[in-house]
Amino acid sequence: MTIKETLTTRPARGVDAQALLDAIRSVGVTHVLTVPDTHQRTLLALLAETDTPKLITVCTEDEAIAINAGLYIGGARPMLLIQNNGFYACLNTIKAIPLDAGVPTFMLIGEHGRDLTRPSRENAELSVRMLEPTLEIWGVPYYRLEGPEDLGNFERAWRQSQEQGGPVALLVGAPTSESARRQEE
Amino acid sequence: MMRRQEAIAALAERRNGAVSVAAMQAIMAWHAAGQGATDHLDALGCMGSASSLGLGIALACPDRKVMALDGDGCVLMQLGTLVTIAAEAPPNFYHFVFENGRYETSGNQLLPGFGKFDFCRMALGAGYRQALGFDDAEALRQALPRVFSSPGPTLIRLGIAPDAPVTPWPDVTMNAQISALRARLQSKMAP
Repeated sequence: MTIKETLTTRPARGVDAQALLDAIRSVGVTHVLTVPDTHQRTLLALLAETDTPKLITVCTEDEAIAINAGLYIGGARPMLLIQNNGFYACLNTIKAIPLDAGVPTFMLIGEHGRDLTRPSRENAELSVRMLEPTLEIWGVPYYRLEGPEDLGNFERAWRQSQEQGGPVALLVGAPTSESARRQEE
Repeated sequence: MMRRQEAIAALAERRNGAVSVAAMQAIMAWHAAGQGATDHLDALGCMGSASSLGLGIALACPDRKVMALDGDGCVLMQLGTLVTIAAEAPPNFYHFVFENGRYETSGNQLLPGFGKFDFCRMALGAGYRQALGFDDAEALRQALPRVFSSPGPTLIRLGIAPDAPVTPWPDVTMNAQISALRARLQSKMAP
């Protein structure tokens, strides 16, 4: 499946937070670096309760990019969990470390402010509708997570970041839902 | 006040196999001191990120000491790193900050607030385990064994005299340095 084929016009739907955590664990992620994202708060709640992977909350996305690189250099398998506004905030560091230096940098990016009924690019909110064009201008490959049926894109995006080096984004279109498993407990 | 090269010479003498990450004007001085070839990374094009790169390495490699050679303007650019480093509290992390009150690389423009802020107090306020300041190279050289034998995170402010900026950068790319350093750390090659 190509990146273009993952684009969609259907309304975005929340992915079960536990299913997303399972996907994170399935590829062996050791550390999740975050500046908290409103869209992914139920996933963050699950991550806060576990040591595998280790959740590290940082002050800025610039730090997250650089710590991700340091962990990678040391043999760990880190990833980022941020939001669209944070992506814009750290563009210079993305330029230097994932792009210029080719460091595998996998980013779950929540589309904060998204009108779920409209495709990302047709949203009124600038921080939403400019995300895909900004990624494209900077040459950052991306996949979409518009609903549970897109969960397979997690592994695709992760694998691309690790095999090709550099940044790859997985865009989280709708807020992650409460874990069904947790609700049953 | 010491010269940057004097401080660099003391750090090189006492490095003892530590992994190093350098920023801005420390880069060429560190290379000139023969320290850039092995177990080293230059933070190029990402001002303020040297300490975060070092933090990641320190967390992934707790058996290796890591020294970040930072600039004062770099620390100010990403001041939140002090809090993140203190929160993770890697005992193998040593944060050296060259302080001359100038953005030397861009032509020696003055830093905002120079003379009013205090990096040692900032680091302790953020939660670093220890913070020390040196304006004399010999005092630094004498103190470094104690610094490295004490658990970090430690910030070491190095008061240096303003100097003319060195403009060339190393021939080696960050990508090549990362590949080499990662391979060495994976293979558990010593110091």
